[in-house]
Amino acid sequence: MAQTQEAASAARFGASLAGRVDASLSLGFERRETGGATVLSEAAQSPPLRVIRAFPTEDQSALVHLHNVSGGVLGGDRLALSVRVGYGASAQLTTTGATRVYRSRGDNLSAIQVNEIAVEENGLLEYVPDAIIPFAGARFQQQTRIQLSAGAGLFWWEILAPGREARGECFAYSRVGLRTEIHACGRLIAFENVDLEPAKIHMGAIARLGVYRYWITFYFCRAGDASSKWLAAEAHMRETAAPWCKPGEMLWSVSTLPADGLAIRGLARRGREILPALQALWSSAKVFLYGRAPILPRKVQ
Amino acid sequence: MEHSNGRSAKESAADGLAELQLLHLADSALPIGSLAHSFGLEALVAEELLDVARLPEFFEVYLCEAGLVEAVFCREAWRIGNVAAEAFSPNEWLDLNEKLSARKPSRESRAASAALGQHFMMAVNGLGDFPMIAQAFHASQRSRSMIHHSTAFGLAGGALGFASGSVVAAFLHQSLAGLISACQRLMPFGQREATRLLWKLKPAILQTSARSELRTVDDVASFTPLVDWGAMEHPVLVTRLFIS
Repeated sequence: MAQTQEAASAARFGASLAGRVDASLSLGFERRETGGATVLSEAAQSPPLRVIRAFPTEDQSALVHLHNVSGGVLGGDRLALSVRVGYGASAQLTTTGATRVYRSRGDNLSAIQVNEIAVEENGLLEYVPDAIIPFAGARFQQQTRIQLSAGAGLFWWEILAPGREARGECFAYSRVGLRTEIHACGRLIAFENVDLEPAKIHMGAIARLGVYRYWITFYFCRAGDASSKWLAAEAHMRETAAPWCKPGEMLWSVSTLPADGLAIRGLARRGREILPALQALWSSAKVFLYGRAPILPRKVQ
Repeated sequence: MEHSNGRSAKESAADGLAELQLLHLADSALPIGSLAHSFGLEALVAEELLDVARLPEFFEVYLCEAGLVEAVFCREAWRIGNVAAEAFSPNEWLDLNEKLSARKPSRESRAASAALGQHFMMAVNGLGDFPMIAQAFHASQRSRSMIHHSTAFGLAGGALGFASGSVVAAFLHQSLAGLISACQRLMPFGQREATRLLWKLKPAILQTSARSELRTVDDVASFTPLVDWGAMEHPVLVTRLFIS
């Protein structure tokens, strides 16, 4: 079934399944019975996707840096990331730098990234990567499916940059598709599907980005928490977000999902202040939900 | 007696009745509360992001993005409803609404769409003996599920035997009329200009309806971050004309 969906996506985005480069990374995290620390119990990897090791954090979680040793994503690449966080385990995934999506070659193949995420009962996954930067002429499609079991928690953000701004590239990529679905105890609680071809649409239209160039989406969820808790969380996160809102520069907004979580959306004109804002939101959200602050990756401390 | 186009007077009368019924259901005067919500426009106007000069482009893009998603869901609901009453699946109908809820990141817009959907179903249910509409309505009540305006409209259109293209176009037209009406109350935008804008947008409505035939509820895409921002921020505006 997944293969069929992938083939359909590949066809829709102009990619051929023949002659492709496949890479996959499959990670499993388990909570040790003694001591309660989370360990990386499975790391099946094929280049260029790599994980060197998991670092234990002060809060018994496991921190893993995702590497793409080729330096970026090339047209025609098919990358698959599978993550399973076991019962009661806690994992934090981040990247070693921005995901650079290079110009597609003459064959116009899309790069395809498929993420399959499962967080088992009372587990926690924090996915806090750097931005996706699609270069001029890049074609990239990402599909993410997240399944949360009862009591499972999730902090998940993504940042879509307009391109290599320092080179004057802004919305010069050919096509970017991002599709994310989150299920909590089998119920679909969030679904977004964007398919951007800047040459064909006006990205700066008021119904789209206006003067902003970066698009940020941040979900935080825990399956099974009462809806009243999420309304309180919405109010709490609005207060956290307020100091980071500077009309014309950066906007943040917060809203409850149909169940089990919040969606936070950001728009920014420049990339500089996005990560500090996200870290503030992440910290605030984690304290609200888990009563403790997150352990920030060393690269940002 | 047969008309020159080959249709009998009885068939023509039935078509005429269907057209009138569809006009009735798509009328902004139908008492479902469609003029009480701005779906984020009020926040965009308050932040001075949206003004009269930008309205034509705004609504063209809105139709291409959010309008297309609603059109696809409306069309799918029409398909679910356009069957014999005994073949109707309330669960399929509820699943469709759940999928649409998941696509709406703003609590307020989601709730507004659901309020309109519920009121619409109640209104149609009160117009006659429509077993499928009653079944769908009661199923949503029992499961406490949200039912959205576009899906309620599509289901009713299918159940009542209206043509799918007409149903989708009528829904989009009604939605747009409601939003344009909101703009009249939010900015210096007169009745004549509003009427002219809605008139000019009719080809775009038909294009969106036609595009919705080529997409499914699983693959239709949309990108309206500023509209989403407006809808998510609306509950905390200090003064509001529209419901939060």
